Amino acid sequence: MLEASGVLELSLAIEATDVVKVFGSIHALDGLSFTVKHGEIFGLIGPNGAGKTTALRIISTLLKPTSGSVKVLGRDVVDEASEIRRLISYLPEEAGAYKNLSGYEYLEFMAKFTIEDKEMIRETVEVAAKISGLEERLKDKVKTYSKGMKRRLLVARALMTKPKLALLDEPTSGLDVLHSVHVRGIIKQYVEKEGVTVLLSSHNMLEVEHLCGKVALINKGKIVAEGSPAELEKKVNASNLEEVFAKVVGFV
Amino acid sequence: MFKGLFNVIVKEVKELVRDPTLLLGMIIVPLIIFPLMGFAVQTSMKAAEESMENISIAVMNLDKGTVAENLTNFLTTLGVTIVKIDDLNFTEAVNYVQQSNLTGLIVIPLNFTNNITGGLKAELDVYSVFRGGGIAESTSSSTISTLLKSFEESLVFQKIFEEIPEEDPQTVLNPIDMSEKSIVKGKSVNIHPSVLFGLMMSQSMGMPIGIMMLLIFAMQLAATSVASEKEEKTLETLLTLPINRLTILAGKLTGSIIVAVVGAIAYIVGFTYYMGSFMGIMPAETGVDLAAIGLAPTPISYLLLGASLFVSLISALALAISISVFAEDVKGAQALVGPLSMLLIFPMIFMMFTDIYALPFPLMIVLLAIPFTHPMLASKVAFTGDYLTAVIGIVYVSIFTIAVLYIAARLFGTEKILTAKLKFKGLRRRKRKPAE
Ligand SMILES: Nc1ncnc2c1ncn2[C@@H]1O[C@H](COP(=O)(O)OP(=O)(O)OP(=O)(O)O)[C@@H](O)[C@H]1O
Ligand SMILES: [Mg+2]
Repeated sequence: MLEASGVLELSLAIEATDVVKVFGSIHALDGLSFTVKHGEIFGLIGPNGAGKTTALRIISTLLKPTSGSVKVLGRDVVDEASEIRRLISYLPEEAGAYKNLSGYEYLEFMAKFTIEDKEMIRETVEVAAKISGLEERLKDKVKTYSKGMKRRLLVARALMTKPKLALLDEPTSGLDVLHSVHVRGIIKQYVEKEGVTVLLSSHNMLEVEHLCGKVALINKGKIVAEGSPAELEKKVNASNLEEVFAKVVGFV
Repeated sequence: MFKGLFNVIVKEVKELVRDPTLLLGMIIVPLIIFPLMGFAVQTSMKAAEESMENISIAVMNLDKGTVAENLTNFLTTLGVTIVKIDDLNFTEAVNYVQQSNLTGLIVIPLNFTNNITGGLKAELDVYSVFRGGGIAESTSSSTISTLLKSFEESLVFQKIFEEIPEEDPQTVLNPIDMSEKSIVKGKSVNIHPSVLFGLMMSQSMGMPIGIMMLLIFAMQLAATSVASEKEEKTLETLLTLPINRLTILAGKLTGSIIVAVVGAIAYIVGFTYYMGSFMGIMPAETGVDLAAIGLAPTPISYLLLGASLFVSLISALALAISISVFAEDVKGAQALVGPLSMLLIFPMIFMMFTDIYALPFPLMIVLLAIPFTHPMLASKVAFTGDYLTAVIGIVYVSIFTIAVLYIAARLFGTEKILTAKLKFKGLRRRKRKPAE
């Protein structure tokens, strides 16, 4: 029994089975099933309104599935939500930071929830400072930041604690090319060296191609294609992910 | 369970205190507007006093008799400047008074002296000039009539003196010397009741206003602290942190209370200063020892008022938070919470001017059903000694508080706190759909 659950935890970070989420008359998710293995960078792609954000919100325990089940790190999102929250970190698609706090104060506030040791908190904030690349500007109030600077602060916040599972909804949206490359590098490094598993959504096919070992294409709340970028390209006879996207979504 | 609470409270207080609009409300209104109002009242009252000192009146003497002469002399000896305008006709006189900045006009008609000496009623026309109707004008106009009254009195004294020379005219005129005292809590005290009423008034006016302002202020704060999480899009992140939802709620409540109390102190300081500016002018109240007559707040009444205020504060905050969950942004939240302040203003007005137990029964029930009536009632406990009412009020408000807290906790515990807002968004998206 113990062994079995241990194996489960080792092999699967996320296990979504037949997830349905209904908002009034809208079926945001309509029987979504996929699995994410430990140590993977898994990419969710799909057109606007396909259900990517809804899926990430359910996995991050913010929303409850209407039906179906989701297990995150072996725990049920409905019954064991508070345990899951200890292990994950979620970067919402549209997020802000407390505008009257400084960048440092914000990072410290966030770090204190997962870390108790003062010295560790300081170290974590330093790590985040490096990830964000904001340097001296971290002393300024968040309300003085540009959109991309705010996003960098939030990405740093999501990664600084080295969570077991990071859920990143369009992590590089609004970032300039250099910072996007920097953030991708960090994500890769964290997965390879720190044992972090990443599930991200993105509209940047180049990014997904570079970063993700596995990709799922969602359309209308269902997975319509799944596999490594190379596998997908081969399957629909396309030369890159953008073409895959166009062919698969176009046909559906 | 409340791990991380301190962290949340610190953040809430920082966010609220550093909000420039909020700071403006907390500092400008109490610490600048109130003293300014006090200053305005003070200077206008000073001006009134000064204008009383130099009253100048035009006198149109058509009578020319001895009593008329006595009247003008009487006024002159009391420091009134008299301008004689006997040569003008009435229309000219009125024009003259208006233009030459005089306080008023006295017309002494023909036969004034004859009527008085002959034992008949004499007439006297007194005109006050109405310019802007400020305090100064009304006081100087009433000063004229007071002066004329005392002239009248001197006529009566003279008559008494002539008819009954052996008696004191004072005693003839006022044969009874009344000494007014009060009974307080079953004991007689040697204090004029109007002094006690005055004291009670200042208490029963001040406390409800203070309580109302504290609660409204706190509600706005709590609503802001929830709604700004939505407006600034920080809520989603906050809700995925390893922290109990109740801790978030408790942190928001505590943070709002801390800031509201600081704000309330600023209001009290400003308001006291404002009231103090009246006191400087009003005749000083006789040094009444409230403790000696049992009207000073006892420790028990302080305790009851404190407890009543505390539960009311929590319920007001929980109410504001529950409602603001349904708002999309700070503006929306404040618009939703705004009508709630009627629940405070309504009892405050009644509490200031009446005893609510003297009101018609249905109205009394309505008022007692409003939880925020009870802290205002409790603020009178020191005067009434009615501890039982205060305790019942506290129990009632506590039950209400628990109910509202439960609702707030439920709203925070489920996905409603996110979707309540998203629902509006969803509706809007759905409306746009057909265009696609
Ligand atoms: N709270 C809500 N209420 C009603 N409908 C919702 C709500 N949240 C999402 N939806 C609907 O669910 C569907 C999926 O939305 P979702 O935000 O998951 O899409 P997405 O794939 O993230 O799109 P995008 O690429 O634009 O971010 C959409 O049709 C959307 O209108
Ligand atoms: Mg999305």
